[in-house]
Amino acid sequence: MNKQTVISAKHLKKAFGKGDSIQVIYSDLNIDIYKGDFTVIMGSSGAGKSTLMYSLSGMDKPDGGEIHFDGTDITKLNNDRLAVFRRKQCGFVFQQIYLIDKMNLMDNVITAGVLTSKDREEIENRAKELFSLVNIPENTWRKTSSQISGGEAQRAGIVRAVINSPNVLFADEPTGALNSANSGAVLDVFTSLHKKGQSIVMVTHDKKSALRGNRIIYIKDGTIFGECDLGKFEQDNTERAEKLDEFIKEMGW
Amino acid sequence: MGLRIMNKISTLILHNLKKAKGQYLSFGVFICLTAFIINIALVLAFQTFNAYDSLFDQLDTADVNFIIPQIQDHSDLLTEVEEIDGVSFVEKRGGVFMPVTVREFAGSDFDMNTVFYNLDEERTLNRLDVTEYSGKSGRSVFIPMYMKELGGFAEGGRIAYSIDGKEHTYDIGGVVQEMQYGNYGTGLIGGYFPGAVYEDFALEYRDHVIAEYSLKISGTADLNAIKNAISEMLREKGIALLNINDRDTAKQTRTMVCTLLIVIFLALAAIILAVSIFLSNFRIRSAIEDELAQMGVLKAIGYTSQMIIASAVMPYLLVGIVSTAIGIALSYAVLPFVAGILAIQSGFSYTPDFDIMALLIVMLILTLAISLFSYLSAGKIRRLEPIHAIRGITGNESAGHTILLLIVSFGIMVLLSFAGTLLYNVNVKPDHFMNTLSEELPSVIFTAEDGKMTELKELLENDSRVSLFMEYASVPVSYESGSLTAFVCEDFSKSTNDICYEGHSPVKENEIAVGNAISDEFPIGSEIELTAHNKSASYIVTGYIQSVNNAGAVCQLTSAGYEKIGETTNTVNVYLYHKNANEFITEYEENHDAIIQSSVNFEQMSENGKRMYTSIVSVIVMILFVVSVLMVLLVMYVIINSMISRRRQEFGIYKAIGYTNRQLTVKTALALIPVVAVASIISVIAGLWYLPAINNIIFSMIGAVKNHFEVSVWILIVFAMMFTAVAFVISILLSAPIKKITAYSLLKD
Repeated sequence: MNKQTVISAKHLKKAFGKGDSIQVIYSDLNIDIYKGDFTVIMGSSGAGKSTLMYSLSGMDKPDGGEIHFDGTDITKLNNDRLAVFRRKQCGFVFQQIYLIDKMNLMDNVITAGVLTSKDREEIENRAKELFSLVNIPENTWRKTSSQISGGEAQRAGIVRAVINSPNVLFADEPTGALNSANSGAVLDVFTSLHKKGQSIVMVTHDKKSALRGNRIIYIKDGTIFGECDLGKFEQDNTERAEKLDEFIKEMGW
Repeated sequence: MGLRIMNKISTLILHNLKKAKGQYLSFGVFICLTAFIINIALVLAFQTFNAYDSLFDQLDTADVNFIIPQIQDHSDLLTEVEEIDGVSFVEKRGGVFMPVTVREFAGSDFDMNTVFYNLDEERTLNRLDVTEYSGKSGRSVFIPMYMKELGGFAEGGRIAYSIDGKEHTYDIGGVVQEMQYGNYGTGLIGGYFPGAVYEDFALEYRDHVIAEYSLKISGTADLNAIKNAISEMLREKGIALLNINDRDTAKQTRTMVCTLLIVIFLALAAIILAVSIFLSNFRIRSAIEDELAQMGVLKAIGYTSQMIIASAVMPYLLVGIVSTAIGIALSYAVLPFVAGILAIQSGFSYTPDFDIMALLIVMLILTLAISLFSYLSAGKIRRLEPIHAIRGITGNESAGHTILLLIVSFGIMVLLSFAGTLLYNVNVKPDHFMNTLSEELPSVIFTAEDGKMTELKELLENDSRVSLFMEYASVPVSYESGSLTAFVCEDFSKSTNDICYEGHSPVKENEIAVGNAISDEFPIGSEIELTAHNKSASYIVTGYIQSVNNAGAVCQLTSAGYEKIGETTNTVNVYLYHKNANEFITEYEENHDAIIQSSVNFEQMSENGKRMYTSIVSVIVMILFVVSVLMVLLVMYVIINSMISRRRQEFGIYKAIGYTNRQLTVKTALALIPVVAVASIISVIAGLWYLPAINNIIFSMIGAVKNHFEVSVWILIVFAMMFTAVAFVISILLSAPIKKITAYSLLKD
C-alpha cells in the first residue's frame, strides 16, 4: 500500500554559528514523513534531531532546501503565515512541557483552541474529552501546572497540542523530564493517538519511547543514516524491541 | 484590531492582567496621577480665561479706563472721547483717588493706590458683582474680593484705612467682584462706599476727587491706538492723566499665577507620563525576557506576533483607560480648591465645571502615548523566533534595566531639583523671586516736598541705617502706539534689580531701554519718540527690560532723559540695612515734616507680595514633592518586584549557602543605589545648566524673560542625597518579599 506523504523535505541545509566557528548540522538532507506514521527520529547528541524536527514543523527555518508540508512549501512563508500554518497543521509537545504558568490547564488548552474555533463551548467540550482520554481527572482541569505532577502536566501539554486536530503532532523528547511511571503514561497517550490515526513525529534518544513508533529514522553526520520499520511488529512483541536494538547497534549508537 | 482576534487573545489578556496585578496597579497609579494633573492644567487653561472673559462680559467691563483730576474735567470731554475713532461707548463716573494704607492687611499695613467709588451710582459699564454681608447700613465699605482673600478680612469684620495720617475704620459691608482692577497687579485697587458714606468721604478729600472715563471699543479697533489717542488728546488739553488701564493688561496681570500653574502642571505631567512610559517599557521588556519560552510556545502553537504583542499591550491600554478616567474624576474633587488658591491672586472666583474637551484631550494623549510606546516596547516580540525563544536565545542581552533606572531617577531628580530651586528662591532667597516678578524693591519710597530733594538726599547720605538711596520714579509716558510706564532713575548702575535682559539700561539722557511688550517694534539702536506733559523727545533704544506687572509695556529713562519731556521727579528709593522701614518712616515724618511730602512702606508691600507668592508656591512645591516621593516608591516597586521575580532562583541558592534575609535585602537594595546615585550626580551637574533653562521657559510665559533665580549647587546636592537615601530606604522596604523565598521552594521549582 502506498503511503501518503505529508511532509517532503529536499536538500535541507542548516548550520549554526559564523566564520571559523560555523557548525554544519546538515548540508543536503532529504526526508519524507507519511500520514498516519509514528515517526521517531533518533541520533546521538548534537546530531541535529530537534533541529530537523523544528525545521519540518516550520518552527525554525532551514538555511536552504524545500519543505513541502501538505503541498505547501513552508520555507517560503513569512513568520505570521508560518504561525497561521502551525496553528492548523501542527501540534507541539516539549520536553520542558511549557504550559503557561499561573494559567490553569483548561485555559492553557483553550488558549490554543481559540485559534481555530470561534465556539468556546465546543473547544471546552473537546478539551474535556481529551483530558479524559489522557487520564487527567476533572478536579485537575482548573489547576495550574505548579499544582500537578510532571506527568499530568505533560499529558495536559499533549491535550493542548492536539486540541486543533493537527495534521502532524511533533514531540521533542516528551518524556525527557519525567520519571518512569509518568513516562509510561505519557507514551501510552501517544500510542493511543497514533492508533486513532494521528501522524506523529517524535525526537528521542530513549529506547522505550522509540519503541512506540512504527518508523525509526537515525540521523548521523547530517544525513539520514538509517531507517527501521517496526510497524510489522505488535506493540508488546519482544521481536519489536530486538529489532530496534539491532537497528541502533547497527547505527553505532 | 478585529473582534475575532480580540476574542482569540482575550484569555491571554485576562491571564496577563491577573498574573502581574501589582505591576499594572503601579502603572495605573502613575497614569491616574498623570491624568489628574493634566486634567487640572487643561481645565484651568480652558476655563479660567473663559471664566474671566465671561465675567468681563457679564459685568459689561470697559476696554479702557482712564482717570483725570475732576478739577480738570469739562463737559465737552465726554463727547470728544466718544468721537475718537474706534470708541463705541463712553461712561463717566466720579471717584476719589489717593494712596492709602490698609491696616492689618494680612497681618500688617499695606500701602495701596485706591480709587473709592459710590456704590449706589448707576453703572452701565464696569458693573459690580456685590455679595453683601452686613449691607449698606451704617458706616461700611465694600472691598474687592482680592483684598478679602489675600488681606484675610473676614465676613462681618472691619477694615481701617490710614489716609494722610488720619484713621478711617469701616464695617466690611460686603465683597465686590469687578474686572477693572481686581488685584493690585495693575498698581490700583477699588473701594466702594454706600452713597451717604461716599458723599462724606468725597467732601473730606475733595482735592482727590477724580473723573473716570470708561470706554467700550468696537471689535476691530486697536486698543493701543485708542490709548494713544486719549493720551495725546489729554496732553493737548493740558489735562493730567492719573491712570490708564486696559482689558489686556488687567487680564494678563490677574491670570499670571494661573498661567504659571498651568505651565508647571503640564511640565510635571509630561515628566510623570515619561516615567510611566519608561516603566511600562521596562515591564514589557522584563516580561518578554521572563516569559521568553512561553512566548515561543505561543508562537509555536500558532499565535502571530501581532496577537502576542496585542496581548501584551492591551492590559496596559485597559489599565491606562480606566486609570485615566479615575484620574480625571479625582481632579474634579481638587479643582475647586485649586481655583480657590488662584482666586487669592486673580481676585475673581469661579467653580470649574466638567470639561468634555479636557477629558477628550487627556484620554487621547494618554491612550495614544500608552498604545504607541507599549507597542514599540513589545516590538521585540516580532523579531523573536519561536525556536530561539524556547531554547532561551534572546539574541542580545538587555542592559536596558539599568539605563531605565538611570533615566527614571534622572527624571525624578529634575522634578525635585526644580521644586527645590523654586522653594529656595521663594522661601530662602525671596528677593530672587520678587526681583523676577517686579522692578526695584526698596525699603521705603519718599516723595520730597517741592525743592527739598537735595535736603532729603543729604539727610539720607548721613543716615547710617541707609545702605543705598537713589532718585527713582514710575511715571506715565506715551509713544506712538500707546502708553508706557517709565522707570526714571538718576543712575541705573545703582539699581539693585537688573531687569535688563538684553543690551543695557540707559546711561545718557538720549538713551532708553524698552519693555518686552514693544521690543519687536523697536530694535536696539532704533529710535522711539516719547511724549509727556505736551513735550516730546526721541531716544535711542539701548536694551530691553522686563516687567511682569505692567505686561512689558514699560521703559527706562535716566532722570536727565525724562526731564526733556517731563518735570523733575521727586521720589527717592531708600534701601535700609535692616528691616525697620516702619520705624524709619515714622521718624522721618515726625522730624522732617517740611522735607517729606509722603512715604511708602515698600518693605511691607514686598512682604505682602512675598506672602501671597509663598503660599501659592508652597502648594505647588508640596505637590511636586508628594508626586516625586510617590514616583520613587512606584518605580522602585516595579523594578524590585521584577528583580525578585527574575532572580528567585539566585536568592534561593544564596539562602541555601547561608545568606540571611537581611543580607539579601540590603544586597538587593544596594544593587540599585549606585545607579540612583549616578543619576543624582548627573542631575546635579546637568542641573546647573538645565534648571536655568527650565526656569527661563516657565517664567518667560508670564513675561519674566530674565529670571533672577539662583540655582544653588548645595540645594541640588542635598536633594540628590535625600533622593538617594529615600530610594535606599524604600528599596529596603520593598525588598521584604525576599524573606518569603526559601531554599526548599527553589528545589521544588
